[in-house]
Amino acid sequence: MAEHQPEEQPPITELDAPGAGRSRTGRAAALARLLHHECTRLLQLYKERETFLLDHTPDSGRILSLSPDSEEPSSEETVQLLHAALRQCLGLLHCVILKEEEEWGELEGDYETMRTNVRARLEHLLHSTKSLAESESKPLEVTPDHQCNEEPDGAGGAFGLKMWTYRVLLELIHWADHAVQTLHILHTETTGAEET
Amino acid sequence: MPQFSVSASSKSNCCPLWLIWVLLGLSAVHTHAKDVLGVPQQVSLSPDRFSRQLSISWLGGAATTFDLMILRTELNESVFYETLSVNPVSGQHLWNWTSAEPLECTSLSIKVRSRDGHMTSEWSNTQILRGNDLPSNDKCQVYPLDRVVPVGANTTFCCIVEEGKVFDDLFYSGAVMNTTRLSRRTYAGTVVNQGPSSSSGTNVVCYNSLRAKEPCGTVVFVGYPPLLSDFVCETHDLISAVCHWTEARDTMLYGKRRSSYSLNKRDCLQRGQKHKVCTVDHWEGNWTLVAVNFLGQYSLNDSAEILNRVHLVAPTKVSSVVNAWNATVLWQWKYRSYSSLRLVCQVELTCNGTKTNLTVSGVGLQSVVLSDLYPEEDYSVQVRCGAQLNFWKWGNWSEPFTFKTDTYVPEAPDVWIWMNRDNTGRIVWKPLTRRQSHGQITGYEFTLWSAEENVQHTQIFSPGTTAAPINLTQIAAFSSDKIIATIIAKNVKGSSQPASVVVPLRLTEPIALSRAVYTERGFPMTWQSDANATCGHVVEWIDAVCTRDCSVEWIKVAAGQTNVSVVSANFQPGVRYIFSLYSCSSEGRELLQRQQGYVQELVPSSSVLLSTSQQNSDVLLSWGEIPLLNRRGFLLGYNVYNSTGSELKLLVNLPDKGNRSYTVKGLSEGSHKFTVKAYTSAGEDTGATASITLELYADWLILEILTSLGITTLFLVIVSFICYKKRKWVKKAFYPDIPEPKLPGDWSRRQGPLDVKPSSHSIMHIVEKPEWDSSKEALVVIPEEDEDEEGQGMGDEPVDTDEPTSLSYYNQVVDERPIRPRFPDSSDSSASSLDSARTDVTYTGIQTSGSSLVFQLDSQASAEGHQPHADMSVNGGGGGDYRPQMQARAPSDDIALVSPEPFIEAASGGGYKPQSSWHLDSPVEGEESGGRAPSLGSPTSVASTQFLLPDGEEDTEERRQPSSSATTWFTNLLSSTKP
Repeated sequence: MAEHQPEEQPPITELDAPGAGRSRTGRAAALARLLHHECTRLLQLYKERETFLLDHTPDSGRILSLSPDSEEPSSEETVQLLHAALRQCLGLLHCVILKEEEEWGELEGDYETMRTNVRARLEHLLHSTKSLAESESKPLEVTPDHQCNEEPDGAGGAFGLKMWTYRVLLELIHWADHAVQTLHILHTETTGAEET
Repeated sequence: MPQFSVSASSKSNCCPLWLIWVLLGLSAVHTHAKDVLGVPQQVSLSPDRFSRQLSISWLGGAATTFDLMILRTELNESVFYETLSVNPVSGQHLWNWTSAEPLECTSLSIKVRSRDGHMTSEWSNTQILRGNDLPSNDKCQVYPLDRVVPVGANTTFCCIVEEGKVFDDLFYSGAVMNTTRLSRRTYAGTVVNQGPSSSSGTNVVCYNSLRAKEPCGTVVFVGYPPLLSDFVCETHDLISAVCHWTEARDTMLYGKRRSSYSLNKRDCLQRGQKHKVCTVDHWEGNWTLVAVNFLGQYSLNDSAEILNRVHLVAPTKVSSVVNAWNATVLWQWKYRSYSSLRLVCQVELTCNGTKTNLTVSGVGLQSVVLSDLYPEEDYSVQVRCGAQLNFWKWGNWSEPFTFKTDTYVPEAPDVWIWMNRDNTGRIVWKPLTRRQSHGQITGYEFTLWSAEENVQHTQIFSPGTTAAPINLTQIAAFSSDKIIATIIAKNVKGSSQPASVVVPLRLTEPIALSRAVYTERGFPMTWQSDANATCGHVVEWIDAVCTRDCSVEWIKVAAGQTNVSVVSANFQPGVRYIFSLYSCSSEGRELLQRQQGYVQELVPSSSVLLSTSQQNSDVLLSWGEIPLLNRRGFLLGYNVYNSTGSELKLLVNLPDKGNRSYTVKGLSEGSHKFTVKAYTSAGEDTGATASITLELYADWLILEILTSLGITTLFLVIVSFICYKKRKWVKKAFYPDIPEPKLPGDWSRRQGPLDVKPSSHSIMHIVEKPEWDSSKEALVVIPEEDEDEEGQGMGDEPVDTDEPTSLSYYNQVVDERPIRPRFPDSSDSSASSLDSARTDVTYTGIQTSGSSLVFQLDSQASAEGHQPHADMSVNGGGGGDYRPQMQARAPSDDIALVSPEPFIEAASGGGYKPQSSWHLDSPVEGEESGGRAPSLGSPTSVASTQFLLPDGEEDTEERRQPSSSATTWFTNLLSSTKP
């Protein structure tokens, strides 16, 4: 799996910067790249704290999975699916923050700061994807789609929480990367259509 | 029992019947015991997995001693086997056993039997405490889960490997643990002396051989029990209590494992890790704080009256009422209860970074008046208060409140006057500071006025101006003797009081300068009290280098004061300042003192200009004065060094700074370098170096030469004079008249070829040239080379090789070698040389020439032919009749060699014979002189003068002329004495 390893991030150029006069798809794609970068950094910080994860490669599957209604979803449906997945990710992150603060207390380290940044970035991206894929027939929500009333799977206890947090962080990286690709394709299609 | 049996059998010999009865009795007892030691029944287990404690209970009847055995079920290893004394409680026996490993690690088998001494019952049914390593629970697990232990504890962890996997390692905080196998899937290891954990605990991770699989593990939290300090309760509102404390030690336990606090058994809700505060609605007077965590608890107590713990809150809504020189600051209190409380308040006033504290008190204090403020200044004020009675602590500071005072008219400038020597000057004043200007200065008004005539002249200057030029010639337009210069500063609020200074219409004569010494407090100056100094004294100072329009500084001293220490931020080290003390009166100023000094003396910044000059063998070093600017201290003198070598050698220290020359005496010839360094109290300057090369003293040498020449000349003159005066004696002694030979017949006129037959031993040869003119006689010099060749026939006769061989002409000085004594008899060649007549007379002193010295040719000899030379020699030497001297022949030479006496006789005897042949030799000359040959050609010489025999040939005569001029003169001198 490529997500848990620090990856070479594409440089965030001025054109990619949100609010730089670019199209909504461009801004969303830029946000996704920023989110992916920060998620990767968050995992790195987490591994620095839980060093036993440094040489560990989990082989368990995804926490979240998409089940498109059709085999070849449209761009709008793809973005809607992405939005739904990101909501689940936000729910998972909320749950991680809640459980970690309960377990370890309200700490103020680099990991906690980056964790807050990722949450804010993810919420921002959700608003962007909502504006891209929302329709009257299918309104989209930006609230976390996770109840956080379940015990983390695995061995339980503090160690189980750590392993579950690790999996959530990997999941965030995966879906952030998915968002980058999806929104880049959408942006390419949108700009191509506008030029023609 | 066998021992017992043996003992019983030993007694049976005594009494077999007794033995039978005893055995029967014992058998009965044994049968009864068998009945009492029943097998424990209803063994039950009650595990406490958190504390790893296993409670075992059973029914054991009346027995009080039991054997308890605990085995690990899978490997049937004994964990515990002991005999226990357990008293029954309600017929049930209970035993608690604590396991070293977590009870989840593996299944345990427990069985009990009763014991009475050595008798035991059968084992009870085995009870099994199931572990989590059963095949039905196939997941990987690590125990204990989330255990909290104190720092330094020892904990045993076990890993139950996933079913079907092989155990690899168990890690504690990244370090591999030593493990032992407890069962088929379970491995355990113990960590001792555990250190404190991080905020998320210490990880214990178990890996199987396939590490790619997700690991399993647990977290242990190692920390401390709570430890508190500084627990105190106080009140802000005089009603409630606020208690706070600090953690004396971090428990290292966070989140759900952090300490919980209770105050008087009421939970305290903590807002964070740092703020340990708990609030109680009512003042209770006594408080107990209890802190509890997983590792223990800690409690603290406090008690106090409420009025002893009043901690006021910060004043709010601070405001001000501002004037130019004062302001009133007001505030409000959050709680009304303060209105009746006697308060003490601290006001901190900040202006330009300077803080001033003011303390005021009063009941319910809500304002303070701030006086002694400055106009047009920014102030910041903060207030805090406390209960004046039973003061506990200061309340919190209010938020900083800023205000600005009003503008006011400026202060009068500090004015002074500087006069140049040419009746010009400047009225100078110090620029007003912010504190003095009381607002933005808009300008200065400068007025010159005469009080008597009420005439004034006014100028306006811009705010940045600090000087106004004056010219006494212009002031002369005022006919009054007293002119006053006045300066007024202006701002938006108005004009300042006028600042005046009387213009001195007459130049002040400078008075002598004394030395001013700088101290830590500045330059101290003192003076006598002067009643006339109605407006005090003024000390002004300038840079001593300045001569015109100097940047003057001054300080005014109030009347009555008789000393001041002059300090200035502009003082620079190495700069000489001149201080002038003036007394001030309504009539003007009067110079009282002048001093000069340095804040700090430095070494001179430049060196002297050094020059050198030679005086015979001495060197005069002279140098100029260092400019005042470069002295940078009071010059104390000069050090003169000889710097010819690599090191400076001090020649002299000249403490007199006025002496700027020095003579270095007794120097040898050659190059010399000298360095002169001026020095102050701070040390020497870098020095000026000059080089000089001493040469031989030419004048003295010339003088010596001239003196020598003069003495020589004088000596010669004296000798000449003496000779002249004694010329008769000289002539008589050294040059007596030679009587004319009396010859029979006139043969002296015969002219013809001279037939000279040279001696075979003579080196003189007559060469008959083919072209020889018979009308002329000639003597030809034969070079010695030829002579040598011919001389081969001379056999072994000695030759005086010391004789020069370069003679070519007659009468030519050829031998310049040192004169050495010669002896006529030294050798034949020597005699021959003499005979050859071409040898110069080199003997010192007056030498009487032997006959052989002169090449004689006379008619008599010619007529007589070859007379035996021996006769001639004898005759000549014997002083008989004069005869022309003939060239000595070899035989005569031989004779002379054998018997030199004739020469001696010729020299010592009085028979000197004039050489008449000279006339023949120079017939023309002889005729012209009347047949009397001149002295030239005389065989006599004086001193080193060499006389050369005359030659008849003209060219030879001409050639010898230059060299014989002096001789001719002397000869003439002598000749002139003839009567």
